[in-house]
Amino acid sequence: METKSRILLIDDEEVVIDSCSQILAGGPYEIASASDGTAGLRLVSEFHPDLVFVDLKMPGISGFEVLEKIREMDSTIVMVVITGFATVSSAVEAMKNGAYDFLPKPFTPDEFRMITRRGLDKRRLVLETIALRREKEMLREQFAAIVSHELKSPLSAVQQNLFVLADELSGLINEEQMKRIERMKTNINDLIQLILTWLRVLSVDVNKIRENFKPTSVASVLTKAIETVQPHAVRKDIELVSSIHEPLGSVNGDEGTLVEVVVNILGNGIKYSRAGGEISIRAEKTAGEVLIAVSDRGVGISKEDLPHIFHDFYTGKADRAGEQSSGIGLAIARRIVEAHDGSITVESELGKGSTFVIHLPSLKEQSNSEPHTDLEMAHS
Amino acid sequence: MNVQKRLIIIDDDPDFVGGIKSILERAEYQVDTAYNPKDGFQALQARRYDLLLLDIMMGRGAEGIALARKIRKDPKLREMPVLIITSVREQIAFLFPGQAVHPNFVDVDELVEKPVEPKLLLEKVSALIKAAEEKHLQPQ
Repeated sequence: METKSRILLIDDEEVVIDSCSQILAGGPYEIASASDGTAGLRLVSEFHPDLVFVDLKMPGISGFEVLEKIREMDSTIVMVVITGFATVSSAVEAMKNGAYDFLPKPFTPDEFRMITRRGLDKRRLVLETIALRREKEMLREQFAAIVSHELKSPLSAVQQNLFVLADELSGLINEEQMKRIERMKTNINDLIQLILTWLRVLSVDVNKIRENFKPTSVASVLTKAIETVQPHAVRKDIELVSSIHEPLGSVNGDEGTLVEVVVNILGNGIKYSRAGGEISIRAEKTAGEVLIAVSDRGVGISKEDLPHIFHDFYTGKADRAGEQSSGIGLAIARRIVEAHDGSITVESELGKGSTFVIHLPSLKEQSNSEPHTDLEMAHS
Repeated sequence: MNVQKRLIIIDDDPDFVGGIKSILERAEYQVDTAYNPKDGFQALQARRYDLLLLDIMMGRGAEGIALARKIRKDPKLREMPVLIITSVREQIAFLFPGQAVHPNFVDVDELVEKPVEPKLLLEKVSALIKAAEEKHLQPQ
């Protein structure tokens, strides 16, 4: 048997409630009604409606207040406001405040039925979306647990025993045989690293990163990232040129993962630059945000690859002169930046190079630091 | 006066335990093993050990953590150094919902990741035992 959709009508005009109830009578609905906001809100918590019709003009607490309270109680409940023609502008206002639709008075039975159906469809979609999201999250967690336990553990045990064998057999077997064991160790290590990479993708949990957020100096993030990649740059004879406009101030974030983002982008720049090239790092504070731009003059990214480079496991179709890539670095970078309420974008031209730009919202300076105007003057 | 040190490994993966045990025995340690936290705790109460090598993910979840906490509360066992050997890295710890598997949640002495190079394992083991002995000799 199909469960009935629950509809709550909150209106001080008895005639409206009566006619609405009559229009829906016989349908797959359960209907409850209240003649003022306070009684309506009580019914929201007792009756658990799928859809609520709220009259905007009622004695007692206002329709707007009712909308706000319902949204606080359960944001998945679909709300429709009932309003006279003269107050269409307030209906628009109500929709800005979370109402899904509005029903102008006077209305025909067909209009009311249609809006009811639309509202209930919306409710179904909202609930389905939530269920799907939860399922996806569970799959992700379970997959991670499976990868880590079922794949990595046996491989670790094999590797552990190879370590022991190599130890025990040293001196007893010839060089050729020892080399064979070494190759096995290398291969298994590669597999373990691959599994760890996968786990890393699955484990960048936005909410968990956020738990460790604290005021973090952007300059310090950049310095640490540059220090990390400097040896790779030197090895490939690539110059890192930075122009950092102090003060950059702070962002609310996690230093470790932010450094990881910048290292990743600089690392890509180095990887895909020709020997002798140059990578520029520009950073500045603008109104309300910090901008970090990393430009290289490397091989660039083709138009068809460009929309996908921030996706998991995307390694690109273009041949990149034997450069190995797991295709997850940028996906993780994007997720980390987004966890910081920031954004990451890229512009690139094949053969000319790429520019990655990160925007992060600035942390409001403490009152004891320089006033805002001074900061802006420093830039002009 | 080099008395042989006695260690215990608590880990539910017999293959892994075999590998670790053999490394330690070659280094002249006496090694006992237990394949679940319950047997492990019983063994710990039956005799004195110089060091415990403990796995985190056992049985239905992070049972190693629970055992480590129990050990820290036990006045007789509290002083025993613990080396956690785990394949659960810090950053994936939260992937096991509802289970505290973060290594910092428990006051352990050291943590190494599986698989562990024999040399590294032996260094950690001897350093932990030495540190525990020195602590013991200091007047309270």
